[in-house]
Amino acid sequence: MKRNKLEIIRDILKIVQENRTIRPTPLLRKSNLSSSRFKEYYTEILEKKFVKESYGKNKEITLDEKGVRYLEKYTAIISFIDEFEL
Amino acid sequence: MWTKNPFVLKVLKLRVYYNKMGPMTGRAINQGINRGLMKLLGANMQGEIIYSFIIIACSLMIYFGTKELYNLTSHKGIKYFRQSFLFFALAYFFRSFIKIILYYFEVSELMNFLPFFGSITFFIFMYFSSMAIFYLLYSVMWKKCKFKYVIYIFHFIALAIAATILIFRNQNIYLLINVLFLVFISYTFFTSYKDQKKKKSHNLYFIYFMLFVFWIFNIIDILIPTALKAYQLFIYLISSGIFLLILYKVIKKTG
Repeated sequence: MKRNKLEIIRDILKIVQENRTIRPTPLLRKSNLSSSRFKEYYTEILEKKFVKESYGKNKEITLDEKGVRYLEKYTAIISFIDEFEL
Repeated sequence: MWTKNPFVLKVLKLRVYYNKMGPMTGRAINQGINRGLMKLLGANMQGEIIYSFIIIACSLMIYFGTKELYNLTSHKGIKYFRQSFLFFALAYFFRSFIKIILYYFEVSELMNFLPFFGSITFFIFMYFSSMAIFYLLYSVMWKKCKFKYVIYIFHFIALAIAATILIFRNQNIYLLINVLFLVFISYTFFTSYKDQKKKKSHNLYFIYFMLFVFWIFNIIDILIPTALKAYQLFIYLISSGIFLLILYKVIKKTG
């Protein structure tokens, strides 16, 4: 079944949360998206400050506070959208 | 018991006053009774303020209560849903403003009493009212709309409705516009409901339909104050109930 945008974002954030820090390439592989679609979603979650990038040896991605909030609120968001047919 | 009612007493006092003035003409009697009735209507002002407060508070609570959900998701459906209630709050603000002026100055038509100011207030009220309904309608049908500029068409229709109300100052035109408006909304709404794959939320569609119907009654009540006077309390109670029910559903889901 095709995932919608909210589900894809949830999945990407969950992968980051489970790994604590992750590099972009493994994140792309684990998210089951084409690289163009991944780039699209990744730009969005970065702009919305759901994740932050840190530069050490490699580029590392970690979950930001807003990302944690998204994961916490995800069930409520879906339930709300479903309830009001939005 | 009824003679203890201060407003009824005022009407009676007015009658005594006119009797003291000696034999009255039919016009004087009418004036006396009209003034008394207007004072009686003054009792409605408190009710009007409470009613407006309930609707504006509910609408704003829905708008601000869903702010976080929208900030997190940028979901278009949530955006239109929120905007609808913001427009309801604004429309109700102008509606109560019109009503309070009517009660305070004891006039029956604002546009005759304050032509320029009244016209602008009516125009804004009608525009916000129409947009509130259009946004709510669009929040449930935006996914099915292939044409992405629908919302601009809605803005144009809302402006056209508001302009028509100002240009044709005729009660029959007001009624006709509102009936057409209701038919259009009902048709779009039921088409959207029929096309739904999962018919689990007929409760929501029923609530929305009732909201549309009673909102139209509220508009008619402002445009033609005498048309629904007998049912005003009933309209106010049902309308408040609908807004409270939607607020309850929002709070239940958003926490």
